[in-house]
Amino acid sequence: MQIVENLSVKEKVYIDKLENGLTVMVIPKKETQKKYVIWGTNYGSVDNEFIVPGEKEITKVPNGIAHFLEHKMFEQPDGTNSLDTLTALGVNANAYTTNDHTAYLFECTDNFYEALDELMDYVQHPYFTDENVQKEQGIIGQEIMMYDDYPSWKVYLNALQAMYKKNPIRIDITGTIDTISKINKELLYKCYSTFYHPSNMVMVLCGDFEPEKIVQEIKKRLLKKESQSEIKRIYPTEPEEINQKVITENMEVSIPLFVIGYKMPEEAEQTEERKIIKHIAIEILLNILIGKSSELYQKLYEKGLLLSEPDLSFDFSKSYAYIMITGQSNNPEEVEKEWKKQVEKYKTNGISEEEFQRVKKTIYGNYVKEYNDVGDIARMFLADYFKGINSFGYLEQYEAVSKDCVEDVLKQYLLEEKEVLSIVKPKV
Amino acid sequence: MEQKIEELKSGIKVHYVKTKQFKTNIGAIFITTPLKKETVTQNALIPAVLRRGTQKHANQEEISKELENMYGASFDVGVEKMGDNQIIKLYIETINDNFLPEKENILQKSIQILFEVAFLPMIENGAFKEEYVNGEKQNLKQIIESKIDNKDQYALNRCIEIMYPEEPYGIYKYGYVEELDKIDANNLYEQYSKLIQTSKIDIFISGDFEIAEVREIISQNEQFKNLQERTAEYIVNNEQTAIKQKAQKVNIQEEKRDVTQGKLVIGMDVLENKADSRFAISIYNTILGDSANSKLFQNVREKANLAYSTRSSYIRQKNNVFIRCGIDIPNYEKALQIIKEQLEDMKQGKFSEEELQSAKKYIISSIKTVQEEQDASVIYYLGQELSGYNISFEEYEEKIQKVNKAQVEEIANKTIMNSIYFLRN
Repeated sequence: MQIVENLSVKEKVYIDKLENGLTVMVIPKKETQKKYVIWGTNYGSVDNEFIVPGEKEITKVPNGIAHFLEHKMFEQPDGTNSLDTLTALGVNANAYTTNDHTAYLFECTDNFYEALDELMDYVQHPYFTDENVQKEQGIIGQEIMMYDDYPSWKVYLNALQAMYKKNPIRIDITGTIDTISKINKELLYKCYSTFYHPSNMVMVLCGDFEPEKIVQEIKKRLLKKESQSEIKRIYPTEPEEINQKVITENMEVSIPLFVIGYKMPEEAEQTEERKIIKHIAIEILLNILIGKSSELYQKLYEKGLLLSEPDLSFDFSKSYAYIMITGQSNNPEEVEKEWKKQVEKYKTNGISEEEFQRVKKTIYGNYVKEYNDVGDIARMFLADYFKGINSFGYLEQYEAVSKDCVEDVLKQYLLEEKEVLSIVKPKV
Repeated sequence: MEQKIEELKSGIKVHYVKTKQFKTNIGAIFITTPLKKETVTQNALIPAVLRRGTQKHANQEEISKELENMYGASFDVGVEKMGDNQIIKLYIETINDNFLPEKENILQKSIQILFEVAFLPMIENGAFKEEYVNGEKQNLKQIIESKIDNKDQYALNRCIEIMYPEEPYGIYKYGYVEELDKIDANNLYEQYSKLIQTSKIDIFISGDFEIAEVREIISQNEQFKNLQERTAEYIVNNEQTAIKQKAQKVNIQEEKRDVTQGKLVIGMDVLENKADSRFAISIYNTILGDSANSKLFQNVREKANLAYSTRSSYIRQKNNVFIRCGIDIPNYEKALQIIKEQLEDMKQGKFSEEELQSAKKYIISSIKTVQEEQDASVIYYLGQELSGYNISFEEYEEKIQKVNKAQVEEIANKTIMNSIYFLRN
């Protein structure tokens, strides 16, 4: 078992790779009553085309199937539902699907082992029937319609569609009513057996655990599985250029919502260190340009062009990377214009040492704050793992990020031709 | 986690919540005042104006820079509605001094800036700075108008308005656009001065610290010294004070908006005012609709497949239970019928001992979880403070354990539909 310690937050992670390929990570927290377990597979909404290990033909599956599969995992042959079973134990259980992974989790203060039994049982035993698949089409249909009424979801999805021509990141995680109607139990079993192999999965536990002991307990509950060779995932070749400069949609909102986005090269082969440094540098950069203390934010706020500080994000995976600045404004086009002016100004004048140091301190504080809650910690380690990162890396590499790194990412990624604007406007 | 309360001045309490569990400390000031139509908009505007600048940090940029130098302290202001009270909140979260790369006393600095923003605002000619007031009026106007943007929340607020047309609880926490025109830098400052002299003030410090040290920092703080003793005016809200009459008939309202999915909200009154009835009502609410095992989740979602999201929630300050679900619009009658059947089953005691035990476990686990979240625990303690009811987590658990099936059934029979609201296209 490998042990990695971080001195800034005074925490340790124990990492074990089991014989069947499953990676287990344990982050012990002595002071807490709450225990959190999350079990994830590296399989998300973008994995719609692949070659099953041992086969030659390409398998293509309907959009939204990873999320559909997540819903269906709870169903048991004896007619019970694992979500009910876990809830009856007083355990808070859930599951979610993202672009690049699917995760099953629970948090509890009591009945931990009973809950672990149930989690490990249902994730290892899929049970799909024509009838239970049909039933779920109704429920997920309502979930899709619920998202249709969220302007914030629309403006985000449209930004992705403005950036990407082919990459399946542009597709809604849930799929559409039409695509989910094409899902059947055979396809679900095929996706399950391909992607839910232990070698494609990781389990993260955070709470008051003895690492050695809990790993033994997990081993006891694992089914034997033949080893699996690599899953060949096929992503369409995404052109470097953006798809569409501006996407505007009308909804019943009081004030427009906007996303300014930048499509970035995917750089799948970069090292862990390089990914982390780039990420920190981008966070510092965005905060210097339009964060709460920035000149630009102050100006836009005083002019009434921004209601509150915009949300700044950078997301990446093996097949995509993008920056998004999300906010509300009466005049998104004007915000975009001012933003671009500021970007150009910083490209010319550079960043001052004072602002760099100050914002860098903030980023440090933000990373430390991530270590308060067992659930936040476990989800972070899981999501970072699928990106090829150990979360402690952010605290380790933090010092290594220089002003030059930040100026480099500014010049390299904030490019006019890679920029898009998505707006949701009020209906007239 | 334990809370120690000291009333350092009459009407002003300091709550020390000591815990070693977090990397952060939280400081918060809550200014509580009765919700009134005449003052709600002014009060909603005040925290936003306070956030714009102080006598030591003239504008937002300066405040933000100070916070960034404290390793990115988060500072938030806002308003909340808790029962019949409006609460102005100011909130700072900093890294605990043990986790700083270099030794510094951030705790002290954070308490100082919190008090500075709350009680030492930027003043011009004996009033708030006009530019800040005008700017924030514009912002607040947009916030008020944006209540239609989140359709789920909008539907719930509309149902509450329908149930409480002439009462404080029906008031929107951010106030009303028509009131904004009457506000200027002078009358707003007057209202602010009145508030800080007469309102109930609760100060929370949560994290790893020494009480004596924090008490010293607060009592030596210049702004704190200037605060007067007061007989705080506020409304104590709990299941004993929220007395309900049985509605003559159910008020049914439909509204058309641009939605894809229909949002159904049912507001119910609990006609029970016995002390401690909140525990049986919580269990009733959990069995009915607050967990994945609940009757609503099982029947509306899993059996009839009418909804993805369906649940109920209990507002103990007002003795209400709200049922909410998102459904296909033509399924309105069907969904309502199934919901009514669940309510009827509850009344007839058609729930098992297992369901009762599972609900108890669910509530106890949530109450334990509150202690694991620093901000949630502060809000929990504030809720207790305002309902005049301070019990420990252990006592809470005991009281939940003692509830029996007959008591839950009794609550079911005293829980009466008041309004049905449906948002559709």
